[in-house]
Amino acid sequence: MATGEFTTHSPEETIQLGHQLARELKPPQLVVLRGELGTGKTTLVKGIAEGFQAASQDDVTSPTFTLIHEYRGPSVNVFHIDLYRIDTDRELETLGIDDLYGDSNVLLIEWGEKFARFERERHVEIRFRRLGENERRIRVSGL
Amino acid sequence: MPDTYILGIESSCDETAAAVVRSGEQVISNVVFSQIATHRPYGGVVPELASREHLRAILPVVRTALAEAERSYETVDAIAVTRGPGLPGALLVGISFAKALAYALDKPLIAVNHLEGHIHAVLLEERQKGNRDVPFPLLALVVSGGHTHLYLAEQRGQSWTYQNIGHTRDDAAGEAFDKVAKLLGLGYPGGPVIDQLAPHGNPQAVRFTFAQIKHRDRQQRGAAPERPHFDFSFSGIKTAVLRYVETHHMQRVIDARRAVLAEIPKPTTEDVLRVSDPMTLDLVASFQNAVIGDLAEKTLAAARAYDAATLFVTGGVAANSELRRRFEEQAAQQGLPVFFPSRPLSTDNAAMIAAAAYPKFLSHDFAEPELSAEAGAQLR
Repeated sequence: MATGEFTTHSPEETIQLGHQLARELKPPQLVVLRGELGTGKTTLVKGIAEGFQAASQDDVTSPTFTLIHEYRGPSVNVFHIDLYRIDTDRELETLGIDDLYGDSNVLLIEWGEKFARFERERHVEIRFRRLGENERRIRVSGL
Repeated sequence: MPDTYILGIESSCDETAAAVVRSGEQVISNVVFSQIATHRPYGGVVPELASREHLRAILPVVRTALAEAERSYETVDAIAVTRGPGLPGALLVGISFAKALAYALDKPLIAVNHLEGHIHAVLLEERQKGNRDVPFPLLALVVSGGHTHLYLAEQRGQSWTYQNIGHTRDDAAGEAFDKVAKLLGLGYPGGPVIDQLAPHGNPQAVRFTFAQIKHRDRQQRGAAPERPHFDFSFSGIKTAVLRYVETHHMQRVIDARRAVLAEIPKPTTEDVLRVSDPMTLDLVASFQNAVIGDLAEKTLAAARAYDAATLFVTGGVAANSELRRRFEEQAAQQGLPVFFPSRPLSTDNAAMIAAAAYPKFLSHDFAEPELSAEAGAQLR
């Protein structure tokens, strides 16, 4: 798959793409998800977590309030992190994200682009753009 | 049965709270220290602020709760604390404090699930009013900033069991209120300000539709047939509000409003109304109407499907006045008794934790000394 651009036409297709990405993402992996509100970031995470057999798509919910959601799979653990409300490096430090780096862990970070360190440290970037009511352009780079 | 006094401690999110409750039926004291003023500039709960503020507040809050109850550490019978779900750092402050207290005083320690606490808040107040007749099965909608869950609760002897029959697939209802308020420049938290503005707008002005949630067949692997689920989704409506703002070119008005409100230390409803144009008010009213309509429709459908005899609506969003009106009206049409906590017990508090601990006290369901925070604790 490597770097690529995909157009999905429904949340179901976005989840399917997540299943495919799970086959390509080899831990340890730091992935930054970039896109405005409502462009499908959490929906793609549903597919990725399900692809790793770490969670059912119905159980993957927004981590905006709880900040970090952890899904443990048979061989890979998925951490879904949302920095929407984190603004300073000090606040970020207290989340202890460094402790989550591990050989069998995949970190998926929403709003990670707010912090320079994730721009440096990320392995993969996935950009989301809204094309229409249900159409989304999803660009994967660095894989 | 002699009276039992339980000291409850709650620190799962942005409230540090302590309370003394007698025998699960009488609030003796209930102290809540809210960090909302601390969080307001950030538009949400910031975990580091949360744990630092909890550390600062916990001792005075517990002392005040005991003093108001005219109790000492020695004259409470047990210590109850929220185990989760919540922010790990915040939970740990309450848990460490409660463990140390229980150990030093040689009193039992009881761990309570936060969501179970919200359910028992309703029960506690009904008992306080003298209503001991809450028929089962009991359906509870727990709806707040972090949660939108439907539980079927049953009681066998002293032990309570909970079955989850629905939850949000993406955002919690309260999170949608917060995000919409933030994107409209109305500040944090979003619930109260939207509640107060909504009556000034037309709830029919903007049509929002909810996607029909497909409940995938979970019976494929030959398992026993599962009972129906009633799941929610509030991510789409947040996006729809954002689109509306974009297509109606509201951004400049929003930025101006945000700037004005940022200058006022504690904006009143009148302050917010002065900077809210009719289009914003209509959007707010329509948004609230749609979210509440969806919550009520699915909850009442679940009540029919499970033959619920009682409905509880609890959690921070249950403080919303339109939500209460709508649930009362629709439950009455179904002949279903519906109960809400009073507003102080809707949002996070420790009285609900002490109340939920009482049946556990009676059945000696005490916490292990290794008790730790469980950020993603499930209620069963």
